Amino acid sequence: MNLIEAKHVTKTYTIGDRQIPVLDNISLSVTNGEFLVVEGSSGSGKTTLLCLLSGLDRPTSGRVLIEEKDITETPEDDLAPLRNQMIGFVFQSFHLVPSLTAIENVMFPAELKHDPRAHQKAQVLLKRVGLATRIDNFPHQLSGGEMQRVAMCRALINDPKIIFADEPTGNLDSENGEAILELLLEFHRERHSTLVLVTHNNKIATMADRMIILHDGRIVETIRHDYQHIA
Amino acid sequence: MMVASWKLYAMIISTLHRHFILRQIIRSKRQATVFVMCVSLSIVSLIALNGFSTSVHTSLLKDARALHAADIIIRSNYDLSPAITDRVEQLEQDGIVASARVYEFYSVVRTEKNRDSVLAKLKVVDKGYPFYGQIVLQSDKKFKDVLTPGSIIVSQTLLDRLQLKVGDQLHVGQALLTIEDIIMQEPDQPVNFFFLGPRIFISTDDLDRLDLVKKGSRVRYACLLKVRDEKQINPIVQQLNAVADRDFVYINTFRSAESGVKRFFDNFLFFLSLIGIFTLLLAGIGIQSTLTAFLKEKEKTIAILKTVGATSKFFTRHFILILSLLGLMGTMLGIFLGFVLQHVLHVLFKGLLPPNVELVISLAAVIEGLCLGVLVVGLFSFLPLHRLKDIKPITILRKESIRSKKNLPYLMTASVIFLSFIGMVLWQLREVKTGVYFIVGVTMLILISAIASEMLLFLLKKLKLKPLVIRQALRGLFRPRNATKPIIITLTTSLTVIFSIYLIEQNLDATYIQSYPPAAPNFFFIDIQPSQLKEFSQSLGQKAEYYPIVRAKIAAINGKKINRQSQRQRRGDNLARTFNLTYRNHLLKDEVIIKGKNLFREDWHDLQVSVLDKVMEIKKMAIGDRIRFKIQGIPLEARISSIRTRTRESIQPYFYFVFPEKALQDAPQTVFTAVRVEKHRRSELQTELVKKFPNVSAIDVTETLSIFARVLEKLSLIIRFFTLFSIIAGILIIISSILATRFARIQEAVYYKILGAKAVFVLKVFTLENLFLGMVSAGLALLLSQIGSWIICSAILEIAYTPFLLNCFFLILATVILIVTIGLLPSSSILRQKPVLFLREQTQE
Ligand SMILES: Nc1ncnc2c1ncn2[C@@H]1O[C@H](COP(=O)(O)OP(=O)(O)O)[C@@H](O)[C@H]1O
Ligand SMILES: [Mg+2]
Repeated sequence: MNLIEAKHVTKTYTIGDRQIPVLDNISLSVTNGEFLVVEGSSGSGKTTLLCLLSGLDRPTSGRVLIEEKDITETPEDDLAPLRNQMIGFVFQSFHLVPSLTAIENVMFPAELKHDPRAHQKAQVLLKRVGLATRIDNFPHQLSGGEMQRVAMCRALINDPKIIFADEPTGNLDSENGEAILELLLEFHRERHSTLVLVTHNNKIATMADRMIILHDGRIVETIRHDYQHIA
Repeated sequence: MMVASWKLYAMIISTLHRHFILRQIIRSKRQATVFVMCVSLSIVSLIALNGFSTSVHTSLLKDARALHAADIIIRSNYDLSPAITDRVEQLEQDGIVASARVYEFYSVVRTEKNRDSVLAKLKVVDKGYPFYGQIVLQSDKKFKDVLTPGSIIVSQTLLDRLQLKVGDQLHVGQALLTIEDIIMQEPDQPVNFFFLGPRIFISTDDLDRLDLVKKGSRVRYACLLKVRDEKQINPIVQQLNAVADRDFVYINTFRSAESGVKRFFDNFLFFLSLIGIFTLLLAGIGIQSTLTAFLKEKEKTIAILKTVGATSKFFTRHFILILSLLGLMGTMLGIFLGFVLQHVLHVLFKGLLPPNVELVISLAAVIEGLCLGVLVVGLFSFLPLHRLKDIKPITILRKESIRSKKNLPYLMTASVIFLSFIGMVLWQLREVKTGVYFIVGVTMLILISAIASEMLLFLLKKLKLKPLVIRQALRGLFRPRNATKPIIITLTTSLTVIFSIYLIEQNLDATYIQSYPPAAPNFFFIDIQPSQLKEFSQSLGQKAEYYPIVRAKIAAINGKKINRQSQRQRRGDNLARTFNLTYRNHLLKDEVIIKGKNLFREDWHDLQVSVLDKVMEIKKMAIGDRIRFKIQGIPLEARISSIRTRTRESIQPYFYFVFPEKALQDAPQTVFTAVRVEKHRRSELQTELVKKFPNVSAIDVTETLSIFARVLEKLSLIIRFFTLFSIIAGILIIISSILATRFARIQEAVYYKILGAKAVFVLKVFTLENLFLGMVSAGLALLLSQIGSWIICSAILEIAYTPFLLNCFFLILATVILIVTIGLLPSSSILRQKPVLFLREQTQE
């Protein structure tokens, strides 16, 4: 079954009276449990694509379906449960809530769905990523790598079916970046969740089930690594 | 992306500063707008107030001669002694001065055949009066030609009231005089609001015929002098003072003489300037807080630009330029609005100002306002600007707070700012004592707000609340680097000021305006004989309280005889006059006992009297003191059994001395009543009663009352008008405080949404957060303002204090709603839109 399906998706920005096409007629489907890597030079539209697939943005034309439900015209509020329980986001620039401590940031999505074990789950996750001693720190008291690990825990706490990760290593040094990606993959394998990852890391990219390369808003190449399934 | 913007900025620095400035303003247009509005607000309120008060002062002073109608004014509450009159006569014979005698007093005047009567203010004047200024008559004839023996000149209100016309006759005292003309304008009584009863001018030739000016009657005697040679004014005053008994007679030149009008406006303008200075303070706080928000938004930019080599000087210079630009805009707007306001003031003060006062906002007022405005902008923007220096490039990378170093130069500058502010307050108030009170008060206020908010926040932090929404809201308050504390202090301080002005205004209103409710009595019937009471009450046909009156004089207190001579010299009330005693065994509705248990004591068997506290203003007395009265020559000694006070100023009758019923029942007495008579019954009733009971005097004060009420209403309207400025300043402060947290809010809203929160959740969190903010600051402000206005009302204004709790509840409600609404505005747009746009914006941050 196709978990995510994009049908002829186009995104055009209008600045003044200038039309800037960013994504041009993209069709794409992601199956349940797939690990998809999106590559492309800066400005090729990777972030835009991720935002469209996840419902953070609305396409200029075309449709996006998640579990065969069209989300393009869904009102914002109806997307809330989807974002809360179905999807996890990890961004290049972390986007942690500055007023909440590490553990509060992680707990928050679980608390939103009234999970009584929110605190416990968050603690387990943070311990797992090696932040047991940092749980009460505020974001501004954490390093970039630590922040990204917190962000990852937050994305994972509700056991989402899909994880969108947009260059999660972009703001980190290679060592930290490597570690983050390893963790993401670990979770992906463990929980059989779908992972859509934007990265420039070739080593990780080769582990993906499929890799698409964007250029000027089009998918110019699709590479399948079927051996992954064999292994 | 980052690199690109660095390059861009580097390019800007090296070339186009103009664009930098423009961009900074446009990027933060909300803060810029609030800033401009605060500046223009402070300027417009200053210009309006100062302009208005200088116009009043100069016109009153410029026409001081006209206001007093003479060069030298000799006044007394007693007939002028021969020593003075002889001296004046001498001077007149020598051709040095011209003189005119003036007698002023109230008297009930009656139409022919006693059809109708009214209490009027009589002015009996010599030929020659007025020496300065002009009495404008309806006929346009000269005053001196019209006011001949046997004729009088009256105000239109008198004619309206008695339904008379020019040519009709009027009983004044024992004389029957003919109404010759109508007064349109009087020079020394420019404000025709401030006396009871319509005016009547009478010639001194008729004075004896009136038979009203007798020993002991309440007459204001005056002799006006016009001096040929202005240089002679002061020497003549000295000469006159040499022969005058200065305890009895007040001799003044037109410059030194106080006029009631001037005194009134002095007080009133002072109160307004107090409100003005509060507005200035609030506008200053607004400037400071909006500027802090403005610069906060720039921190990132400044940090980035510093990494590429921009110096602190660069920013300081540019932001000073930006502020000057915005300040200039605000100033222009303020001046423009000041001119617009001029017309509003004109309408507002219509009928209240002397006709010769021109409301012109003078150049001097504009310049003064300008200087003060510049000073305010300068003072209040210094500290936020000073912080620019402390922004380090590291701010971009690590989000640590910027700590200002409190070093010596900083502290010195801060104290200079504080001192300049003190100077400004003193300059504006032009009175050291009040200025010092003001500054101490404001400093205390800020200090208390700071301590109280610190304590409340500490308590809130300790709270362990379960629901997620509430927890998130509280977290918002304690956001790291959040300006919650300064915001609460700012809001508390400004709300306290506004609430206090409101409370004081309400209390003034309650004391003065509400004392004249529509149901207040407008008819007084005096000299009803006890034997007529039954019949009179039937004829009156409405419920009324009748007060028996026994006329008496005080002979001695505690065995010490009253010195009539010295008593009469008193400026206020005195013990030498005739008092109206009454008897009853109960308290009136508006009376309470302040000393003693009951009106009278059961354990005393000698004669008792209850005294109103007003008597204490003449002479201190205590329970148990003995007062000897004389009723038609018969002595009557009574012990003071209780002291009463009245709960409010009102037009209801009141009595200084109340006796037990048994004590005075049989004394020679008349009966008095005060009732409310509806408009349509007035003439009919009066005519009927006067016909039936010719000895009863009916005094109709309807017009006087309504005029009085109108004046008071007008005054409170003016106060409210100027209060409006401080309220606007308060709203601007709320807006600027909220703007300071705008970015943080937007960011949080977006994050909540991405993590799957619904709009309702975000709304709830922000509403609650602002609710906390609003309730904490409004609650604190209410507490502080209650204390403050209670002190001001009871200690300075000396009026009864009511806390107006219900009004306060609505006040707080309105404030909290305002804060919550304004707080929700910046986040509201995010809720229905896709989060991506803001997400990208946040990344840029
Ligand atoms: N709000 C916007 N308005 C105009 N253009 C935008 C906007 N957001 C992104 N773009 C443009 O869309 C293109 C793709 O952006 P993005 O998806 O962020 O690229 P990538 O993530 O691949 O680096 C870029 O050229 C960018 O300039
Ligand atoms: Mg991107």
